[in-house]
Amino acid sequence: MSLKPTLLAGALALAGAFGAAPSYAQTEVKLWHMEQPPHRVARIQELIDAFNAANPDIKVVQEPQSWDQVYAKVPAAIAAGNPPDMLFAIPDFTTVVRKVDQLESVADFVKELDAEHGFVPAAVEPYSYDGGVWAVPLYNMALSLWYNKKMLDDAGVAPPKTWSEWKAAAQTLSKDGIVGVGLPANKQLYTDQTTYAVMVNNGASDLFNADGSIAFDNEKTVGAYDFYKDLYQYSSPDAANWTWGEAEACFSSETCAMILQFTVISTYDAQGGGDAANLGVAPVPHADDQADSSTIAYSNGVMFLSKDPAKREASKKFIRFLLQPDNYGKFLTMEPGLFLPVTKDGAAAGTFWSDPLVVKYKSQVEQMIKNADRGMLFGFTGGHVFPAIGAISAQNMLAETLQKVVINGSDAATAVKEGAAAMTEATK
Amino acid sequence: MKRGLAGTAALLLGLLVLALVVLFPMWAVLSSSIKLPREIIHRIPTYFPKSFTLQHYQKLLATSDFPAYFGNSLVVALLSAAITVALATLAGYAFFRLEFRGRELIYRMVMVAYAFPSIVILIPIYLMFAKLGLIDTRTALVIVNVTFALPFSIWMMRTFFAALPHELEEAAAIDGASLFETARYVLVPLLGPGMASIAVFAFVSSWTEYLFASVLILSDAKRTIPVGLSGIIGQYQIDWGLLLAGASLSILPVVVFFAFVGRFFVSGLTEGAVK
Repeated sequence: MSLKPTLLAGALALAGAFGAAPSYAQTEVKLWHMEQPPHRVARIQELIDAFNAANPDIKVVQEPQSWDQVYAKVPAAIAAGNPPDMLFAIPDFTTVVRKVDQLESVADFVKELDAEHGFVPAAVEPYSYDGGVWAVPLYNMALSLWYNKKMLDDAGVAPPKTWSEWKAAAQTLSKDGIVGVGLPANKQLYTDQTTYAVMVNNGASDLFNADGSIAFDNEKTVGAYDFYKDLYQYSSPDAANWTWGEAEACFSSETCAMILQFTVISTYDAQGGGDAANLGVAPVPHADDQADSSTIAYSNGVMFLSKDPAKREASKKFIRFLLQPDNYGKFLTMEPGLFLPVTKDGAAAGTFWSDPLVVKYKSQVEQMIKNADRGMLFGFTGGHVFPAIGAISAQNMLAETLQKVVINGSDAATAVKEGAAAMTEATK
Repeated sequence: MKRGLAGTAALLLGLLVLALVVLFPMWAVLSSSIKLPREIIHRIPTYFPKSFTLQHYQKLLATSDFPAYFGNSLVVALLSAAITVALATLAGYAFFRLEFRGRELIYRMVMVAYAFPSIVILIPIYLMFAKLGLIDTRTALVIVNVTFALPFSIWMMRTFFAALPHELEEAAAIDGASLFETARYVLVPLLGPGMASIAVFAFVSSWTEYLFASVLILSDAKRTIPVGLSGIIGQYQIDWGLLLAGASLSILPVVVFFAFVGRFFVSGLTEGAVK
């Protein structure tokens, strides 16, 4: 009797007994992101689960973090030797991370993804400096002017396109307890954003000269601060301390006729009645002598911090999966109407446009995408990126200067000069 | 001295103003948490709800990790309070009943722990805990909370020990009580008010601690309420109903804990008076 059948049977029995055990090593990849609200965490988990099921040799796990703490937490985690393998970031944060860790450029990977999906160039630009690309762009956010159509119609006011129209509209609308335009004015990130949105619309987009020196102190910047102060008289008395949430609440409660925000769609829909026909969105108005509007836009990206080749490859595989149009549409609609596509095929993704909220507010989302096309970010303009922007951004220096002008009553020219000096000092 | 009508009116007015200052924000939060979203953000605030809904509570408990945050906060705060009370009482005994060299100097140096702002020692503590493998553990939070509550608690204990005459312990010793029995049957009942005060202080400090909890904890499942709630709120958009429901639920344990410990507080006072 041949031994072969017996051995074969034994081998099969063993295979059966241990069949459930995986025959491969699993690579675990840790993702830190700052999209903490429960519905966003749930949507990311849904995508992770789909990826993990399709790739049993990889296990992606998410650990949501807070923007408030991540600037301290990441350097500490790197120093302690337990950083995440993938980290969501915004451009100035990449400069902070690069200061504390030796990162490998992802230029080749971005090139590969660009060939497949077609990145919007403005989304890649802020991550391209010092001879490398330091993050893969994932989604975009751009500040727009949101307005209540009925309030404007009732007052006989057209959506403003220029600063003089904007001021006139705010003045006309400010009556009977209505706030013409809701604007913040203290030292915090929202004010940085609204201030820069006004600056870029007066041609004062560059904070740095080509040689890296500070270009903040100029006529255009002073003009922008003067205009902001002028417009602020039509804001709410308690608006100085507002962040995004208060501005949105003011708009959704029909107290503010106009505000500057990335989006108001989900709050307006859930808390403000949700009449899509009454929700207006337009580009941020520009100075009368400027030809067109621009805005502040944040291209959010993902950095790869792991030094382990297997983990890096697994991370890349996950991002390839995420940018597939079907998955990407689901990813973007974790917060419908806030996160905008950064790839050409992503902008056409069926899963993005079929989201119920995007369907309902389609014209608004289309306008937001148009506004984002002309977006800029302070410190990342003019083809020069200076990592020193991290210090300026972290200390909210644009907002600090605005606070001096609007709240403390300083002369704009003096406050801008002081702001420029502070920026020079901070970037030494 | 008898208080006149004007004095009584002024006193009542003062009490009313104080009560309003303390209670109105709590009422605003609690009453708004049961309003429909539109009423919460309405231009003209309503002081008494015109609508009623439990949707914010349902959403909070069903779609977020709030129950886990709540459980974590409870475990961390209770452990921190218990350990702080135990250590502060023992340290208090050592400082105010035992004679040893350098006692006064060490006692004064205890407060040096408060000399540095928390943010300054955040990174060194993170690195230390990383070496000990304590990052992303609730143990790390208990250690930090106890560390920061203990110095002030020891100082608080001084007042309570100072009020206890040495003769009580001597009398217990003459009656044949051991050190443990003296502590259990004489000191602890009389120190009840002090221990209760420290427990409340340590519990509330731990319950509201944000900075270390936000940095030392990495995973969502181990977050405490202040950090978890700030995440639920979001950065660019705020679900006000969710925030108000979370805030309402998060004050409950503090109120319950104070009511529970407060009972012992009164009981301790009474027992002390009888002695």
